[in-house]
Amino acid sequence: MIAVKGLRKTFTTHIKEPGLAGSLRALVKRETVTKEALKSVDLEIQQGEIIGLIGANGAGKTTLVKILAGIVHPTAGEATVLGFKPWERNNEYRRQMCLIMGQKAQVWWDLPALDSFLLLKEIYQIDDRLYRENVEFLAETLMVKDHLKTQVRKLSLGERMKVELMAALLHRPRVIFLDEPTIGLDLSAQKAVREFLKSYQREFRPVTILTSHYMEDIKELCPRIVIMKEGSFVYDGPLAEVQRMLGDEKCLSVTTRERTFKFTIARTELAARTAEIFAQNDVLDLNIQDPSIEDVIESIMKNGTAL
Amino acid sequence: MNWWRHIAAAELRKILAFRSDFWVTFIGQALVQLLIARALWQSIFAGSEAEVMNGFTLEMMTLYYLIVPIGQKMLTGENVGFLSREIYDGTFSRYLIYPLSFFQYKAITYLTHSAFYGLQLILIFTAYNFFVKTAGFSTLLPGTLLFLMAAFAYMSIAMIVELLSLWAENIWSLMVLVRFFCLFFGGGYLPLTFFPEELQRVLVYTPFPYLVSLPVRTTMGLAPPNEIVHGALVLVAWAIVFYFIAHLIWRRGQYKYNGVGI
Repeated sequence: MIAVKGLRKTFTTHIKEPGLAGSLRALVKRETVTKEALKSVDLEIQQGEIIGLIGANGAGKTTLVKILAGIVHPTAGEATVLGFKPWERNNEYRRQMCLIMGQKAQVWWDLPALDSFLLLKEIYQIDDRLYRENVEFLAETLMVKDHLKTQVRKLSLGERMKVELMAALLHRPRVIFLDEPTIGLDLSAQKAVREFLKSYQREFRPVTILTSHYMEDIKELCPRIVIMKEGSFVYDGPLAEVQRMLGDEKCLSVTTRERTFKFTIARTELAARTAEIFAQNDVLDLNIQDPSIEDVIESIMKNGTAL
Repeated sequence: MNWWRHIAAAELRKILAFRSDFWVTFIGQALVQLLIARALWQSIFAGSEAEVMNGFTLEMMTLYYLIVPIGQKMLTGENVGFLSREIYDGTFSRYLIYPLSFFQYKAITYLTHSAFYGLQLILIFTAYNFFVKTAGFSTLLPGTLLFLMAAFAYMSIAMIVELLSLWAENIWSLMVLVRFFCLFFGGGYLPLTFFPEELQRVLVYTPFPYLVSLPVRTTMGLAPPNEIVHGALVLVAWAIVFYFIAHLIWRRGQYKYNGVGI
């Protein structure tokens, strides 16, 4: 369904020294920097799979999604989605995919959502019966029936996100790109969106790529994760595998009269190290925990390895 | 295919979404412009003690300056920045995701705005003529149609400039400059009969007089039929040339689009 090979993307941006002198100099000569947003990445995703794309800001997640959605052209490499090169923007491809960006509205702000849906119905050439079914199913599942006649700009962030989801899924896409769909939402709205995505995935089995900074999204939705660091993949595999990595490690938090210190050690060394700590320090408190999945992923993002 | 009709309808609903803005745009602006034009030219005519200035009586001049602002709004459709703004803030991405040509989408939304102002032109012209009887009604429709054609040509010119935002970080001044050129040399600020004859002769070979002057003169019944037909053909030719250039620029510029923004 999605096959990516050696995909690269570089961006050139202008830079300017701070201050008035820098501004004056930039009027005559501007300096540029080239940033490699994607460094030759390979990826394969099958029908019905949902993968979580994780990485720090600027890791290249959104760039990859934008290339696969056909918004941005790659600098080099190959990618096909449903057999199409996304950046050629074949209408046949665009009718089968959707992109939802948590930070950008795609429905028309000045119109009620139903007006936007009617327009999308024509753009995607959705037949009347399917359109009615989809609006009903999505509105019911997302619980936004009462908000569809309100101007989108007057909706709350959570309601707007749900309307965005509805608009993007009206044509039942086979490929879904979700770029931080829960950003800025409160906890209950995040949960509702996650539940919806889970049930949608179960029902229609699209290929889904999800980027998110919220680990809850990833843990709930993505059996497979890809961790990105500075434009490269540093981990591509099952989330369960990351969870298994936790099994060999323990996190210790030790409080003495002077200070509190935390460190991670191998499970096999636990007894010996604990005894050693007690022997060498005046210990007030000692706490032993499994490292959280967030800790492992953060470590992979920082160091390229797990803990 | 109905999608273009639905895009136009959605755009129209957007225009009608804000009640007070609608009435101010539709009626208020025209009344203010009428009063200013009337007061200004009344004093100019009084000062010169002439009945006719460069082919215009006071009544005709008032009508000219009533039509021109509405015609300008028809020309500029969605207003300055209709593409570049979306390129800079990244909302342009939506046109690349939807299974349609963004050129066609933009042309439809643009011309919907123009058509809305066309309706305003018809109503205001009719109301003015009802009281003052300066011109006939037979040329109102051809004049409005010429304005719509001019709007398409101007949109193509504007698209060329706006698409330069794929390369440059700010093109506001350029957009304003091009708009000023089109309106000034098109007769948008002063009827072209006030320009030196040499300049008028040169301007015929540019698209400018066909953007404003010809549609206004046609609406007022001042342009003979052969000039209207010739002007319409010239407008179509210019529109095709500019539209083609805009396509070429997009073909190159799309590699520069990175979809970032606010």
